[in-house]
Amino acid sequence: MKETQEMESLKQNAQSVSTVSDPYQATGAVAASPTPVQPERRRTPRTWEIPPAPVPPPHLNDYKKIVGEAEIDELQFLARDLKGKTVKMVNSTAVGGGVAEMLNRLVPLLSELEVGTHWDVITGGNDFFEVTKAFHNALHGSEYELTRQAQEIFLMYNEQNRERMQFTEDVIVVHDPQPAALVRAREKTSARWVWRCHIDLSNPHPQVWGFLRPFIEQYDGAIFSSQSFARQLPIPQYLFYPCIDPLSEKNKELDDAFIQKVCDESGIDRSRPVVTQVSRFDRLKDPVGVVQAFKLARKYVDCQLVLAGGGASDDPEGAIVLKEVKEVAGNDPDIIILDLPPWCALEINALQRASTIIVQKSIKEGFGLTVTEALWKGKPTIGGAVGGIPNQIIHKLTGMLVHSVEGCAYQIRYLLTHPEFAGQLGKSGREHVRENFLMTTNVRRWMLLLRILQANRGN
Amino acid sequence: MTAPAVLIQQRTPVKPFYFNTSAHLLRITRFKANTLEELLEALRQCPEDSIFQHTFRTLQEHHFLREGFSNDFAHWALSACNEPGLAEQLASVDVREYTSIEELRNRFIQIVERFLQRNSVIGQRVAQETFYFCASNIVVLPTSFVAHTMHEFTEGVRQVSVHSIHHHFIEARLRIKLMSNDFSQWLHEDVGLTETARALNRIDIYTMTLEDVRLQIVRIVERALI
Repeated sequence: MKETQEMESLKQNAQSVSTVSDPYQATGAVAASPTPVQPERRRTPRTWEIPPAPVPPPHLNDYKKIVGEAEIDELQFLARDLKGKTVKMVNSTAVGGGVAEMLNRLVPLLSELEVGTHWDVITGGNDFFEVTKAFHNALHGSEYELTRQAQEIFLMYNEQNRERMQFTEDVIVVHDPQPAALVRAREKTSARWVWRCHIDLSNPHPQVWGFLRPFIEQYDGAIFSSQSFARQLPIPQYLFYPCIDPLSEKNKELDDAFIQKVCDESGIDRSRPVVTQVSRFDRLKDPVGVVQAFKLARKYVDCQLVLAGGGASDDPEGAIVLKEVKEVAGNDPDIIILDLPPWCALEINALQRASTIIVQKSIKEGFGLTVTEALWKGKPTIGGAVGGIPNQIIHKLTGMLVHSVEGCAYQIRYLLTHPEFAGQLGKSGREHVRENFLMTTNVRRWMLLLRILQANRGN
Repeated sequence: MTAPAVLIQQRTPVKPFYFNTSAHLLRITRFKANTLEELLEALRQCPEDSIFQHTFRTLQEHHFLREGFSNDFAHWALSACNEPGLAEQLASVDVREYTSIEELRNRFIQIVERFLQRNSVIGQRVAQETFYFCASNIVVLPTSFVAHTMHEFTEGVRQVSVHSIHHHFIEARLRIKLMSNDFSQWLHEDVGLTETARALNRIDIYTMTLEDVRLQIVRIVERALI
């Protein structure tokens, strides 16, 4: 899933990082002025050659300083009636991808609340994963011809996994379409079954959805990431927004010295306003539009643009988009383009924190977790009014929504010249995330769902 | 101990106040609207917990905003339908004036109906985004805070989560079916602070964050006990 891949790379590195009391590093906006002479800039920050080892997941108490003691107490009260209950999470990969990343954090937290949670991963050959990749794209709306052979491969591997796995837990949660047919095991179990769909089903390929739907209807409930992804189904459908972990490498607070180091290595001048977009070099993220908006805005306000992303080295289309972006940027020393490997979570975090404004000018989007990350860092954020971005950016209250290059340019100018308003947006945006899009909120949703499933069983 | 704290402790409530809280899980219903006419139809047919979700509950989800947000219907009328006049009327619906969801539903229906009677062409215009009716499953939970004294009460108000403040101060009227809230009821019935109870009920939840409301409650109660 593209969306959650952006949450990828939350890996530990050897850098020792402490916290600072003020995460809002907003630099003041200044009127247009001659660009001061800068030392020659590096265009790429130093990064580690290999992915660093993963960090142990945080404990529930570690979140108290972020959401408050009362919130954590409430989770413990919610868990009281669930003690001793067991849950199995099933997905298709243990590493890589946002689902695995989320489960890496969620499973230990549920277990800490004494809801024994096991995580099982289905196995399959290349042929299976080719079919499920095609299903994934088709469910996102791509063209596809569903063959009998593809159906047989899908069912065969699901059957193999069904025979291999035990389903002795109270609740079985199956993530995404790959293992969806495991539900055929439900007749032999007393468990409640839930399908957690992380992908955009707003415009699914009719044949593929028609093939999967009879399986989905056998579940006790389905969970979607957005209201618009839900389908007409005879089972209850729940809304779980994607979330970020405030203690991950991508989101935890950073020492200002580290932020400065990343800026120095990237050629960013923190004495001047910094406008940043973090995202893969993908046309749907409209990086070319961001450069155009920046150029329009800079006629009136002094600023630099940072485009930080990845995907250009392992994705042929990403490389083409990066080339296009560089062409539009030209030799402008104030446009800094950083093609980062996926394990640079700390550097991304530092770049976001060094920014005055963050932009996510997508023209199509899943939920837009980079927006969540920006809001969490208290940054005034400008987002394209697409996908899940309007769920996060309430126009003029938690950020600014735009529909065009010109609109984006105007909002950059406005926010840079109205720092007080920009600061208020940043504060409200952070509170919006604290209330609705943090890992602890997701733990709360899971506990509630488990309690509701338990109560329904009682009925 | 400070002087007010001593005085607060001197007044002993008849019954303790048990701080509870509520947790909500969002359900996606089958109702949605792409036009104002569809909104009206869905307002008539959707379950009660949908009306609750898009009014009472959305206030909690956006508790950190001081202005510009009242309920989801008003927000949609403005942001997706570009109808500021209708949005203004919908936003002016104050949930505190309703002790039942049906009354609240009828008020929204009345506003949209009247608007469409005057602007029938607009009713079928397709909005920029769909309004999806959601609903809440609610679980009420205890907290570790119980107030046997006034000091414990103000400490409880200071320390419970904003969800608990919302539960007692805003959602409560649907439970007790009175134009009041749990705090005011307790102050009036079990502590004898009737004026203070009334003063709490006058706190404007639409121009403050819930954190501001929390501070205001503490301030009013402490002032009453000096």
